[in-house]
Amino acid sequence: MKHTLKNPAVYIVFIVPTIALYGLFFLYPMFSSVFYAFTDWNGLDQTHFIGMQNFTNAFKDASFRDSILNNMYFILFSVGIQVPIIIVFALLISNVKRLKGFYKTTVFMPSILSTSVIGILWGFIYDPDVGPITDFLALFGLEPIYWLAEPRWAMLAILLTNAWQWIGFYIVLILAAILAIPREIDEAAAIDGANAVQRAWYLTVPLIKPIVSVVVMLSIAGAMRVVDIVLVMTNGGPAGSTEVMASYMVNRAIKYGEYGYGTALAIIIFAFALVLTALYQFTLGKTERIEY
Amino acid sequence: MPVALKKSIPHIILLAYVCIILFPFVFVVFSSLKESNVEISQAPFAFPKEFHFQNYIDAWVQAQIDVYFFNSAYLALSSAVVGVLLAAATAFAITRMKFPKTSKIIFQSVLIGMLIPGNVLFIAQYILMMDLKILNTHWALFLPYTAGALPFSVLLISAFMKAIPGELEEAAVMDGLSASGIFTRIVLPLTVPALVTVFIINFLGNWNEYLLASFFISKDALKTLPTGMVGFRDAYQTNYALICTGIVFSVTPVLILYAFLQEKIIEGLTAGSVKG
Repeated sequence: MKHTLKNPAVYIVFIVPTIALYGLFFLYPMFSSVFYAFTDWNGLDQTHFIGMQNFTNAFKDASFRDSILNNMYFILFSVGIQVPIIIVFALLISNVKRLKGFYKTTVFMPSILSTSVIGILWGFIYDPDVGPITDFLALFGLEPIYWLAEPRWAMLAILLTNAWQWIGFYIVLILAAILAIPREIDEAAAIDGANAVQRAWYLTVPLIKPIVSVVVMLSIAGAMRVVDIVLVMTNGGPAGSTEVMASYMVNRAIKYGEYGYGTALAIIIFAFALVLTALYQFTLGKTERIEY
Repeated sequence: MPVALKKSIPHIILLAYVCIILFPFVFVVFSSLKESNVEISQAPFAFPKEFHFQNYIDAWVQAQIDVYFFNSAYLALSSAVVGVLLAAATAFAITRMKFPKTSKIIFQSVLIGMLIPGNVLFIAQYILMMDLKILNTHWALFLPYTAGALPFSVLLISAFMKAIPGELEEAAVMDGLSASGIFTRIVLPLTVPALVTVFIINFLGNWNEYLLASFFISKDALKTLPTGMVGFRDAYQTNYALICTGIVFSVTPVLILYAFLQEKIIEGLTAGSVKG
Protein backbone atom coordinates (compact mmCIF):
# COMPACT_ATOMS: atom_id res chain seq x y z
CA MET A 1 0.00 0.00 0.00
CA LYS A 2 2.53 2.56 1.17
CA HIS A 3 4.88 1.54 -1.57
CA THR A 4 2.64 2.61 -4.46
CA LEU A 5 2.09 6.15 -3.24
CA LYS A 6 5.69 6.50 -2.17
CA ASN A 7 7.04 6.20 -5.67
CA PRO A 8 9.60 9.01 -5.97
CA ALA A 9 9.80 8.80 -9.76
CA VAL A 10 6.11 9.53 -10.18
CA TYR A 11 6.29 12.25 -7.53
CA ILE A 12 9.10 14.01 -9.33
CA VAL A 13 7.42 13.77 -12.74
CA PHE A 14 4.23 15.24 -11.24
CA ILE A 15 5.82 18.23 -9.57
CA VAL A 16 8.83 19.15 -11.67
CA PRO A 17 6.96 20.91 -14.54
CA THR A 18 5.06 23.07 -12.05
CA ILE A 19 8.13 23.89 -10.02
CA ALA A 20 10.10 24.72 -13.17
CA LEU A 21 7.46 27.09 -14.56
CA TYR A 22 6.86 28.62 -11.17
CA GLY A 23 10.55 29.12 -10.52
CA LEU A 24 11.22 30.60 -13.93
CA PHE A 25 8.26 32.99 -14.07
CA PHE A 26 7.73 33.86 -10.39
CA LEU A 27 10.79 33.26 -8.26
CA TYR A 28 13.43 34.22 -10.80
CA PRO A 29 11.73 37.52 -11.80
CA MET A 30 11.28 38.31 -8.11
CA PHE A 31 14.99 38.09 -7.43
CA SER A 32 16.06 39.62 -10.72
CA SER A 33 13.73 42.59 -10.04
CA VAL A 34 15.57 43.31 -6.84
CA PHE A 35 18.87 43.02 -8.69
CA TYR A 36 17.94 45.28 -11.63
CA ALA A 37 16.42 47.91 -9.36
CA PHE A 38 19.90 48.80 -8.12
CA THR A 39 21.42 49.08 -11.59
CA ASP A 40 21.23 51.49 -14.51
CA TRP A 41 20.67 48.72 -17.04
CA ASN A 42 19.08 49.92 -20.26
CA GLY A 43 19.38 46.83 -22.43
CA LEU A 44 22.32 48.17 -24.44
CA ASP A 45 25.17 49.66 -22.45
CA GLN A 46 27.16 48.10 -19.70
CA THR A 47 25.36 47.70 -16.41
CA HIS A 48 26.54 49.55 -13.33
CA PHE A 49 25.48 49.25 -9.75
CA ILE A 50 24.14 52.62 -8.74
CA GLY A 51 22.89 51.87 -5.26
CA MET A 52 19.73 53.64 -4.22
CA GLN A 53 19.88 56.16 -7.04
CA ASN A 54 16.86 54.76 -8.91
CA PHE A 55 14.79 55.07 -5.76
CA THR A 56 15.87 58.60 -4.93
CA ASN A 57 15.30 59.58 -8.56
CA ALA A 58 11.80 58.12 -8.41
CA PHE A 59 10.80 60.38 -5.55
CA LYS A 60 12.33 63.41 -7.27
CA ASP A 61 10.52 62.52 -10.51
CA ALA A 62 7.57 64.94 -10.72
CA SER A 63 5.70 62.80 -13.26
CA PHE A 64 5.93 59.77 -10.99
CA ARG A 65 4.71 61.81 -8.02
CA ASP A 66 1.72 62.93 -10.09
CA SER A 67 1.00 59.32 -10.97
CA ILE A 68 1.03 58.40 -7.26
CA LEU A 69 -1.58 61.09 -6.74
CA ASN A 70 -3.74 59.59 -9.48
CA ASN A 71 -3.56 56.20 -7.77
CA MET A 72 -4.75 57.93 -4.61
CA TYR A 73 -7.74 59.31 -6.55
CA PHE A 74 -8.46 55.76 -7.64
CA ILE A 75 -8.35 54.58 -4.03
CA LEU A 76 -10.50 57.47 -2.76
CA PHE A 77 -13.06 56.95 -5.48
CA SER A 78 -13.30 53.19 -5.15
CA VAL A 79 -13.37 53.16 -1.35
CA GLY A 80 -15.21 56.40 -0.66
CA ILE A 81 -17.81 56.33 -3.42
CA GLN A 82 -18.02 52.81 -4.77
CA VAL A 83 -18.09 50.87 -1.51
CA PRO A 84 -21.19 52.63 -0.07
CA ILE A 85 -22.98 52.15 -3.40
CA ILE A 86 -21.95 48.50 -3.43
CA ILE A 87 -23.33 47.94 0.08
CA VAL A 88 -26.63 49.62 -0.77
CA PHE A 89 -27.12 47.58 -3.92
CA ALA A 90 -26.17 44.34 -2.20
CA LEU A 91 -28.75 45.10 0.52
CA LEU A 92 -31.38 45.91 -2.08
CA ILE A 93 -30.79 42.69 -4.02
CA SER A 94 -30.83 40.59 -0.85
CA ASN A 95 -34.18 42.08 0.11
CA VAL A 96 -36.15 41.55 -3.09
CA LYS A 97 -37.96 38.28 -3.50
CA ARG A 98 -38.26 38.11 -7.25
CA LEU A 99 -35.53 38.47 -9.88
CA LYS A 100 -32.74 37.99 -7.35
CA GLY A 101 -30.82 35.66 -9.66
CA PHE A 102 -31.34 37.95 -12.63
CA TYR A 103 -29.91 40.96 -10.79
CA LYS A 104 -26.95 38.99 -9.53
CA THR A 105 -26.08 37.60 -12.96
CA THR A 106 -26.47 40.94 -14.72
CA VAL A 107 -24.50 43.10 -12.32
CA PHE A 108 -21.65 40.60 -12.29
CA MET A 109 -21.38 40.47 -16.07
CA PRO A 110 -19.04 43.41 -16.78
CA SER A 111 -16.36 41.97 -14.53
CA ILE A 112 -15.83 38.93 -16.76
CA LEU A 113 -15.08 41.05 -19.83
CA SER A 114 -11.72 42.22 -21.06
CA THR A 115 -10.74 45.58 -19.61
CA SER A 116 -9.26 46.59 -22.95
CA VAL A 117 -12.53 45.95 -24.77
CA ILE A 118 -14.42 47.85 -22.09
CA GLY A 119 -11.98 50.73 -22.51
CA ILE A 120 -12.63 50.80 -26.25
CA LEU A 121 -16.37 50.56 -25.72
CA TRP A 122 -16.51 53.43 -23.26
CA GLY A 123 -14.15 55.49 -25.37
CA PHE A 124 -16.88 55.29 -27.99
CA ILE A 125 -19.61 56.21 -25.52
CA TYR A 126 -17.59 59.24 -24.40
CA ASP A 127 -16.89 60.30 -27.99
CA PRO A 128 -17.94 63.96 -28.31
CA ASP A 129 -19.04 63.62 -31.94
CA VAL A 130 -20.90 60.34 -32.22
CA GLY A 131 -21.16 59.09 -28.64
CA PRO A 132 -24.53 58.90 -26.87
CA ILE A 133 -23.46 60.97 -23.85
CA THR A 134 -23.22 64.02 -26.07
CA ASP A 135 -26.82 63.51 -27.16
CA PHE A 136 -27.83 63.02 -23.56
CA LEU A 137 -26.18 66.29 -22.53
CA ALA A 138 -27.82 68.03 -25.49
CA LEU A 139 -31.21 67.18 -24.00
CA PHE A 140 -30.36 69.64 -21.22
CA GLY A 141 -28.88 72.11 -23.65
CA LEU A 142 -25.31 71.33 -22.62
CA GLU A 143 -22.32 71.51 -24.92
CA PRO A 144 -20.43 68.31 -25.79
CA ILE A 145 -17.64 67.50 -23.34
CA TYR A 146 -14.32 66.18 -24.63
CA TRP A 147 -14.19 63.60 -21.88
CA LEU A 148 -10.93 61.90 -22.73
CA ALA A 149 -9.17 64.88 -24.25
CA GLU A 150 -9.56 67.38 -21.43
CA PRO A 151 -7.32 67.01 -18.38
CA ARG A 152 -10.08 67.91 -15.94
CA TRP A 153 -12.54 65.28 -17.21
CA ALA A 154 -10.29 62.42 -18.30
CA MET A 155 -9.64 61.02 -14.84
CA LEU A 156 -13.32 61.08 -13.93
CA ALA A 157 -14.19 59.35 -17.19
CA ILE A 158 -11.77 56.54 -16.40
CA LEU A 159 -12.95 56.25 -12.80
CA LEU A 160 -16.55 55.91 -13.93
CA THR A 161 -15.66 53.25 -16.49
CA ASN A 162 -13.66 51.36 -13.88
CA ALA A 163 -16.61 51.59 -11.47
CA TRP A 164 -18.98 50.32 -14.16
CA GLN A 165 -16.78 47.27 -14.62
CA TRP A 166 -16.13 46.34 -11.00
CA ILE A 167 -19.05 47.42 -8.81
CA GLY A 168 -21.05 44.31 -9.73
CA PHE A 169 -18.24 41.99 -8.76
CA TYR A 170 -18.13 43.37 -5.23
CA ILE A 171 -21.91 43.48 -4.98
CA VAL A 172 -21.93 39.72 -5.53
CA LEU A 173 -19.22 39.21 -2.90
CA ILE A 174 -21.21 41.12 -0.29
CA LEU A 175 -24.50 39.63 -1.40
CA ALA A 176 -23.15 36.14 -0.72
CA ALA A 177 -22.24 37.20 2.82
CA ILE A 178 -25.67 38.73 3.42
CA LEU A 179 -27.44 35.62 2.21
CA ALA A 180 -25.32 33.51 4.55
CA ILE A 181 -26.75 35.30 7.60
CA PRO A 182 -29.36 33.05 9.21
CA ARG A 183 -32.85 34.26 8.33
CA GLU A 184 -34.11 33.87 11.91
CA ILE A 185 -32.15 36.92 13.10
CA ASP A 186 -33.87 39.07 10.50
CA GLU A 187 -37.27 37.55 11.19
CA ALA A 188 -36.94 38.08 14.93
CA ALA A 189 -36.16 41.76 14.37
CA ALA A 190 -39.12 42.05 12.01
CA ILE A 191 -41.43 40.59 14.65
CA ASP A 192 -40.07 43.11 17.14
CA GLY A 193 -41.23 45.81 14.75
CA ALA A 194 -38.04 46.91 13.03
CA ASN A 195 -38.65 48.06 9.47
CA ALA A 196 -36.55 47.04 6.49
CA VAL A 197 -34.23 50.05 6.63
CA GLN A 198 -33.63 49.64 10.36
CA ARG A 199 -32.95 45.93 9.95
CA ALA A 200 -30.50 46.61 7.15
CA TRP A 201 -28.65 49.32 9.05
CA TYR A 202 -28.63 47.90 12.60
CA LEU A 203 -28.49 44.20 11.82
CA THR A 204 -27.16 43.33 8.41
CA VAL A 205 -24.48 46.00 8.06
CA PRO A 206 -22.75 45.18 11.39
CA LEU A 207 -22.88 41.49 10.51
CA ILE A 208 -21.22 41.94 7.11
CA LYS A 209 -18.40 44.15 8.41
CA PRO A 210 -15.74 41.48 7.84
CA ILE A 211 -16.59 41.07 4.16
CA VAL A 212 -16.87 44.85 3.68
CA SER A 213 -13.39 45.05 5.09
CA VAL A 214 -12.25 42.47 2.53
CA VAL A 215 -13.90 44.49 -0.25
CA VAL A 216 -12.08 47.63 0.89
CA MET A 217 -8.79 45.75 0.87
CA LEU A 218 -9.45 44.37 -2.60
CA SER A 219 -10.41 47.86 -3.79
CA ILE A 220 -7.17 49.32 -2.48
CA ALA A 221 -5.15 46.51 -4.04
CA GLY A 222 -7.06 46.91 -7.31
CA ALA A 223 -6.54 50.68 -7.34
CA MET A 224 -2.81 50.22 -6.85
CA ARG A 225 -2.66 47.70 -9.67
CA VAL A 226 -4.78 49.54 -12.21
CA VAL A 227 -3.10 49.85 -15.60
CA ASP A 228 -4.95 48.28 -18.56
CA ILE A 229 -7.82 50.69 -18.59
CA VAL A 230 -5.52 53.72 -18.51
CA LEU A 231 -3.30 52.38 -21.28
CA VAL A 232 -6.29 51.66 -23.50
CA MET A 233 -8.39 54.76 -22.89
CA THR A 234 -5.85 57.57 -22.63
CA ASN A 235 -2.36 56.06 -22.34
CA GLY A 236 -1.80 58.42 -19.42
CA GLY A 237 -2.77 61.54 -21.33
CA PRO A 238 -3.87 64.23 -21.86
CA ALA A 239 -0.66 65.80 -20.55
CA GLY A 240 -0.11 63.06 -17.97
CA SER A 241 -3.38 63.81 -16.21
CA THR A 242 -4.44 60.15 -16.01
CA GLU A 243 -1.03 58.51 -15.64
CA VAL A 244 -0.98 55.96 -12.83
CA MET A 245 2.07 54.36 -11.25
CA ALA A 246 1.87 51.13 -13.21
CA SER A 247 1.31 52.78 -16.58
CA TYR A 248 4.18 55.16 -15.93
CA MET A 249 6.42 52.24 -14.97
CA VAL A 250 5.52 50.25 -18.08
CA ASN A 251 6.04 53.18 -20.42
CA ARG A 252 9.35 54.23 -18.90
CA ALA A 253 10.74 50.72 -18.88
CA ILE A 254 9.61 49.44 -22.24
CA LYS A 255 9.33 52.55 -24.43
CA TYR A 256 12.55 54.16 -23.21
CA GLY A 257 14.37 50.97 -22.29
CA GLU A 258 15.02 52.14 -18.72
CA TYR A 259 14.72 48.67 -17.23
CA GLY A 260 16.67 49.42 -14.08
CA TYR A 261 14.52 52.44 -13.27
CA GLY A 262 11.35 50.56 -14.22
CA THR A 263 12.01 47.67 -11.83
CA ALA A 264 12.77 50.16 -9.06
CA LEU A 265 9.35 51.71 -9.71
CA ALA A 266 7.81 48.22 -9.61
CA ILE A 267 9.29 47.61 -6.19
CA ILE A 268 8.04 50.98 -4.96
CA ILE A 269 4.53 50.13 -6.17
CA PHE A 270 4.68 46.77 -4.41
CA ALA A 271 5.90 48.37 -1.18
CA PHE A 272 3.20 51.02 -1.38
CA ALA A 273 0.46 48.43 -1.80
CA LEU A 274 1.85 46.39 1.07
CA VAL A 275 2.04 49.38 3.42
CA LEU A 276 -1.43 50.64 2.55
CA THR A 277 -3.14 47.29 3.02
CA ALA A 278 -1.23 46.65 6.24
CA LEU A 279 -2.13 50.10 7.56
CA TYR A 280 -5.76 49.50 6.75
CA GLN A 281 -5.76 46.08 8.36
CA PHE A 282 -4.31 47.35 11.61
CA THR A 283 -6.52 50.42 11.87
CA LEU A 284 -9.95 50.76 10.31
CA GLY A 285 -10.20 47.29 8.86
CA LYS A 286 -9.79 45.52 12.18
CA THR A 287 -12.75 43.19 12.58
CA GLU A 288 -13.56 40.32 14.79
CA ARG A 289 -14.80 37.02 13.52
CA ILE A 290 -18.53 36.78 13.73
CA GLU A 291 -20.13 33.54 14.78
CA TYR A 292 -23.83 32.98 14.42
CA MET B 1 -47.44 54.77 1.04
CA PRO B 2 -49.28 51.84 -0.52
CA VAL B 3 -47.59 48.49 0.02
CA ALA B 4 -47.35 47.72 -3.69
CA LEU B 5 -45.42 50.91 -4.34
CA LYS B 6 -43.18 50.34 -1.36
CA LYS B 7 -42.34 46.88 -2.62
CA SER B 8 -41.47 48.08 -6.09
CA ILE B 9 -39.04 50.83 -5.07
CA PRO B 10 -36.06 48.45 -4.76
CA HIS B 11 -36.93 46.97 -8.12
CA ILE B 12 -37.06 50.39 -9.75
CA ILE B 13 -33.62 51.29 -8.40
CA LEU B 14 -32.16 47.92 -9.34
CA LEU B 15 -33.66 47.96 -12.81
CA ALA B 16 -32.20 51.41 -13.37
CA TYR B 17 -28.80 50.01 -12.47
CA VAL B 18 -29.34 47.01 -14.74
CA CYS B 19 -30.10 49.46 -17.56
CA ILE B 20 -26.79 51.23 -16.94
CA ILE B 21 -25.03 47.88 -17.15
CA LEU B 22 -26.84 46.70 -20.26
CA PHE B 23 -27.08 49.97 -22.15
CA PRO B 24 -23.50 49.90 -23.56
CA PHE B 25 -24.07 46.38 -24.88
CA VAL B 26 -27.29 47.29 -26.63
CA PHE B 27 -25.68 50.41 -28.00
CA VAL B 28 -22.74 48.42 -29.38
CA VAL B 29 -24.92 45.79 -31.01
CA PHE B 30 -27.13 48.44 -32.63
CA SER B 31 -24.14 50.43 -33.79
CA SER B 32 -22.46 47.37 -35.25
CA LEU B 33 -25.43 46.91 -37.56
CA LYS B 34 -25.56 50.51 -38.71
CA GLU B 35 -24.19 51.71 -41.98
CA SER B 36 -21.95 54.56 -40.85
CA ASN B 37 -21.07 57.06 -38.17
CA VAL B 38 -23.71 59.40 -39.58
CA GLU B 39 -26.47 56.96 -38.79
CA ILE B 40 -25.03 56.34 -35.31
CA SER B 41 -24.63 59.99 -34.39
CA GLN B 42 -28.02 61.02 -35.73
CA ALA B 43 -29.88 58.58 -33.54
CA PRO B 44 -27.57 56.74 -31.14
CA PHE B 45 -30.41 55.07 -29.27
CA ALA B 46 -32.41 54.07 -32.31
CA PHE B 47 -32.78 50.62 -33.78
CA PRO B 48 -30.75 50.33 -37.01
CA LYS B 49 -32.72 51.33 -40.14
CA GLU B 50 -31.70 48.15 -41.87
CA PHE B 51 -29.38 45.41 -40.69
CA HIS B 52 -26.02 46.08 -42.16
CA PHE B 53 -24.34 42.69 -41.74
CA GLN B 54 -21.61 43.69 -44.15
CA ASN B 55 -19.75 45.16 -41.13
CA TYR B 56 -19.36 41.69 -39.70
CA ILE B 57 -17.85 40.32 -42.89
CA ASP B 58 -15.57 43.36 -43.25
CA ALA B 59 -14.33 43.16 -39.69
CA TRP B 60 -13.80 39.41 -39.78
CA VAL B 61 -11.91 39.26 -43.06
CA GLN B 62 -10.43 42.67 -43.92
CA ALA B 63 -9.69 43.89 -40.44
CA GLN B 64 -8.13 40.56 -39.42
CA ILE B 65 -10.42 39.98 -36.49
CA ASP B 66 -10.39 36.33 -37.58
CA VAL B 67 -6.62 36.14 -37.00
CA TYR B 68 -6.85 37.74 -33.54
CA PHE B 69 -9.80 35.57 -32.66
CA PHE B 70 -8.00 32.30 -33.44
CA ASN B 71 -4.82 33.45 -31.73
CA SER B 72 -6.80 34.27 -28.61
CA ALA B 73 -8.81 31.08 -28.76
CA TYR B 74 -5.90 28.70 -29.12
CA LEU B 75 -3.65 30.49 -26.64
CA ALA B 76 -6.36 30.78 -24.01
CA LEU B 77 -7.44 27.19 -24.53
CA SER B 78 -4.03 25.53 -24.68
CA SER B 79 -2.61 27.38 -21.72
CA ALA B 80 -5.72 26.77 -19.62
CA VAL B 81 -5.65 23.03 -20.43
CA VAL B 82 -1.93 22.67 -19.74
CA GLY B 83 -2.25 24.74 -16.57
CA VAL B 84 -5.09 22.61 -15.22
CA LEU B 85 -3.26 19.35 -15.96
CA LEU B 86 0.00 20.52 -14.37
CA ALA B 87 -1.81 21.88 -11.35
CA ALA B 88 -3.82 18.67 -10.97
CA ALA B 89 -0.71 16.51 -11.14
CA THR B 90 1.05 18.70 -8.59
CA ALA B 91 -1.97 18.80 -6.33
CA PHE B 92 -2.19 15.00 -6.49
CA ALA B 93 1.46 14.63 -5.65
CA ILE B 94 1.33 16.94 -2.66
CA THR B 95 -2.00 15.89 -1.22
CA ARG B 96 -2.24 12.16 -1.95
CA MET B 97 1.33 10.89 -2.21
CA LYS B 98 3.33 10.13 0.91
CA PHE B 99 6.07 12.73 0.91
CA PRO B 100 4.65 15.07 3.54
CA LYS B 101 7.74 17.17 4.27
CA THR B 102 8.64 18.02 0.68
CA SER B 103 4.98 18.55 -0.14
CA LYS B 104 4.55 21.07 2.60
CA ILE B 105 7.50 23.14 1.42
CA ILE B 106 6.26 23.06 -2.18
CA PHE B 107 2.75 24.05 -1.18
CA GLN B 108 3.91 26.96 0.97
CA SER B 109 6.24 28.34 -1.66
CA VAL B 110 3.56 28.12 -4.33
CA LEU B 111 1.21 30.05 -2.05
CA ILE B 112 3.66 32.94 -1.89
CA GLY B 113 2.99 33.35 -5.59
CA MET B 114 -0.56 34.39 -4.82
CA LEU B 115 0.63 37.33 -2.75
CA ILE B 116 2.62 38.95 -5.54
CA PRO B 117 0.60 41.10 -7.91
CA GLY B 118 1.44 40.33 -11.53
CA ASN B 119 2.32 43.93 -12.43
CA VAL B 120 5.27 43.93 -10.09
CA LEU B 121 6.98 41.14 -12.01
CA PHE B 122 6.05 42.52 -15.40
CA ILE B 123 9.35 44.18 -16.31
CA ALA B 124 11.47 41.36 -14.96
CA GLN B 125 9.37 38.96 -17.04
CA TYR B 126 9.86 41.15 -20.08
CA ILE B 127 13.62 40.99 -19.58
CA LEU B 128 13.38 37.24 -19.11
CA MET B 129 11.54 36.92 -22.42
CA MET B 130 14.26 38.95 -24.08
CA ASP B 131 16.93 36.70 -22.60
CA LEU B 132 15.07 33.58 -23.71
CA LYS B 133 14.68 35.18 -27.15
CA ILE B 134 10.97 34.41 -27.28
CA LEU B 135 9.59 37.94 -27.44
CA ASN B 136 7.22 38.18 -30.37
CA THR B 137 6.37 34.49 -30.34
CA HIS B 138 3.34 32.90 -28.75
CA TRP B 139 5.61 31.23 -26.22
CA ALA B 140 6.02 34.66 -24.62
CA LEU B 141 2.33 34.54 -23.71
CA PHE B 142 1.73 30.81 -23.35
CA LEU B 143 4.41 30.32 -20.69
CA PRO B 144 3.56 33.24 -18.38
CA TYR B 145 -0.18 32.57 -18.73
CA THR B 146 0.31 28.95 -17.73
CA ALA B 147 2.73 29.79 -14.93
CA GLY B 148 0.66 32.71 -13.67
CA ALA B 149 -2.39 30.54 -13.14
CA LEU B 150 -0.56 27.81 -11.23
CA PRO B 151 -0.67 29.12 -7.63
CA PHE B 152 -4.43 29.60 -7.55
CA SER B 153 -5.06 26.39 -9.51
CA VAL B 154 -2.87 24.26 -7.24
CA LEU B 155 -4.51 25.78 -4.16
CA LEU B 156 -8.07 25.15 -5.33
CA ILE B 157 -7.49 21.66 -6.70
CA SER B 158 -5.50 20.63 -3.60
CA ALA B 159 -8.34 21.71 -1.34
CA PHE B 160 -10.68 19.57 -3.41
CA MET B 161 -8.39 16.51 -3.53
CA LYS B 162 -7.79 16.55 0.21
CA ALA B 163 -11.46 15.80 0.69
CA ILE B 164 -11.36 12.54 -1.28
CA PRO B 165 -11.53 9.60 1.17
CA GLY B 166 -8.37 7.50 1.42
CA GLU B 167 -10.24 4.16 1.25
CA LEU B 168 -10.71 4.62 -2.48
CA GLU B 169 -6.98 4.64 -3.04
CA GLU B 170 -6.37 1.73 -0.72
CA ALA B 171 -8.83 -0.33 -2.71
CA ALA B 172 -7.14 0.77 -5.93
CA VAL B 173 -3.74 -0.20 -4.61
CA MET B 174 -5.09 -3.64 -3.66
CA ASP B 175 -6.29 -4.00 -7.22
CA GLY B 176 -2.75 -3.32 -8.38
CA LEU B 177 -3.05 0.20 -9.80
CA SER B 178 0.13 2.26 -9.98
CA ALA B 179 0.39 5.81 -8.62
CA SER B 180 -0.17 7.37 -12.02
CA GLY B 181 -3.03 4.94 -12.56
CA ILE B 182 -4.68 6.11 -9.35
CA PHE B 183 -4.25 9.68 -10.55
CA THR B 184 -5.75 9.25 -14.01
CA ARG B 185 -8.43 6.66 -13.23
CA ILE B 186 -9.60 7.49 -9.71
CA VAL B 187 -8.60 10.94 -8.46
CA LEU B 188 -8.85 12.92 -11.68
CA PRO B 189 -12.43 11.85 -12.51
CA LEU B 190 -13.51 12.68 -8.96
CA THR B 191 -11.94 16.13 -9.20
CA VAL B 192 -13.74 17.17 -12.38
CA PRO B 193 -15.88 19.91 -10.76
CA ALA B 194 -12.81 21.70 -9.41
CA LEU B 195 -10.96 21.19 -12.69
CA VAL B 196 -13.82 22.77 -14.63
CA THR B 197 -13.88 25.80 -12.33
CA VAL B 198 -10.14 26.28 -12.58
CA PHE B 199 -10.19 25.79 -16.34
CA ILE B 200 -12.88 28.44 -16.85
CA ILE B 201 -11.19 30.98 -14.60
CA ASN B 202 -7.88 30.48 -16.40
CA PHE B 203 -9.49 30.54 -19.81
CA LEU B 204 -11.29 33.82 -19.10
CA GLY B 205 -8.17 35.38 -17.63
CA ASN B 206 -6.10 34.46 -20.68
CA TRP B 207 -8.80 35.47 -23.15
CA ASN B 208 -9.02 38.94 -21.56
CA GLU B 209 -5.35 39.52 -20.73
CA TYR B 210 -4.03 42.80 -22.10
CA LEU B 211 -0.79 43.99 -20.50
CA LEU B 212 1.54 41.13 -21.43
CA ALA B 213 -0.11 40.64 -24.81
CA SER B 214 0.39 44.27 -25.75
CA PHE B 215 4.06 44.49 -24.82
CA PHE B 216 5.34 40.98 -25.52
CA ILE B 217 3.83 40.74 -29.01
CA SER B 218 4.17 43.40 -31.67
CA LYS B 219 3.73 41.35 -34.86
CA ASP B 220 0.21 41.90 -36.11
CA ALA B 221 -0.30 38.29 -37.18
CA LEU B 222 0.38 37.08 -33.62
CA LYS B 223 -1.81 39.53 -31.71
CA THR B 224 -4.70 38.41 -29.54
CA LEU B 225 -8.15 39.97 -29.46
CA PRO B 226 -7.64 42.55 -26.66
CA THR B 227 -4.49 43.99 -28.22
CA GLY B 228 -5.66 43.47 -31.78
CA MET B 229 -8.83 45.38 -30.94
CA VAL B 230 -6.86 48.34 -29.64
CA GLY B 231 -4.76 48.44 -32.82
CA PHE B 232 -7.94 48.06 -34.81
CA ARG B 233 -9.52 51.01 -33.02
CA ASP B 234 -6.47 53.17 -33.63
CA ALA B 235 -6.52 52.24 -37.33
CA TYR B 236 -10.28 52.66 -37.88
CA GLN B 237 -10.76 55.59 -35.49
CA THR B 238 -13.39 57.03 -37.80
CA ASN B 239 -15.45 53.92 -38.40
CA TYR B 240 -17.34 53.22 -35.20
CA ALA B 241 -19.70 50.74 -36.80
CA LEU B 242 -16.75 48.49 -37.62
CA ILE B 243 -15.18 48.92 -34.17
CA CYS B 244 -18.45 47.88 -32.56
CA THR B 245 -18.49 44.79 -34.74
CA GLY B 246 -15.06 43.95 -33.40
CA ILE B 247 -16.31 44.38 -29.84
CA VAL B 248 -19.21 42.02 -30.53
CA PHE B 249 -16.81 39.36 -31.83
CA SER B 250 -14.63 39.71 -28.76
CA VAL B 251 -17.38 39.70 -26.14
CA THR B 252 -19.76 37.08 -27.53
CA PRO B 253 -17.76 33.93 -26.67
CA VAL B 254 -17.35 35.10 -23.08
CA LEU B 255 -21.04 35.87 -22.75
CA ILE B 256 -22.01 32.48 -24.19
CA LEU B 257 -19.74 30.79 -21.67
CA TYR B 258 -21.27 32.94 -18.94
CA ALA B 259 -24.82 32.09 -20.00
CA PHE B 260 -24.17 28.38 -19.45
CA LEU B 261 -21.75 28.41 -16.54
CA GLN B 262 -22.57 31.57 -14.59
CA GLU B 263 -22.71 29.88 -11.20
CA LYS B 264 -19.30 28.26 -11.67
CA ILE B 265 -17.77 31.45 -13.04
CA ILE B 266 -19.08 33.65 -10.23
CA GLU B 267 -18.04 31.15 -7.59
CA GLY B 268 -14.58 30.64 -9.06
CA LEU B 269 -13.79 34.32 -9.64
CA THR B 270 -14.95 35.45 -6.23
CA ALA B 271 -13.11 32.61 -4.49
CA GLY B 272 -9.98 33.51 -6.44
CA SER B 273 -10.11 37.14 -5.38
CA VAL B 274 -10.81 36.54 -1.72
CA LYS B 275 -8.13 33.91 -1.30
CA GLY B 276 -5.70 35.98 -3.35
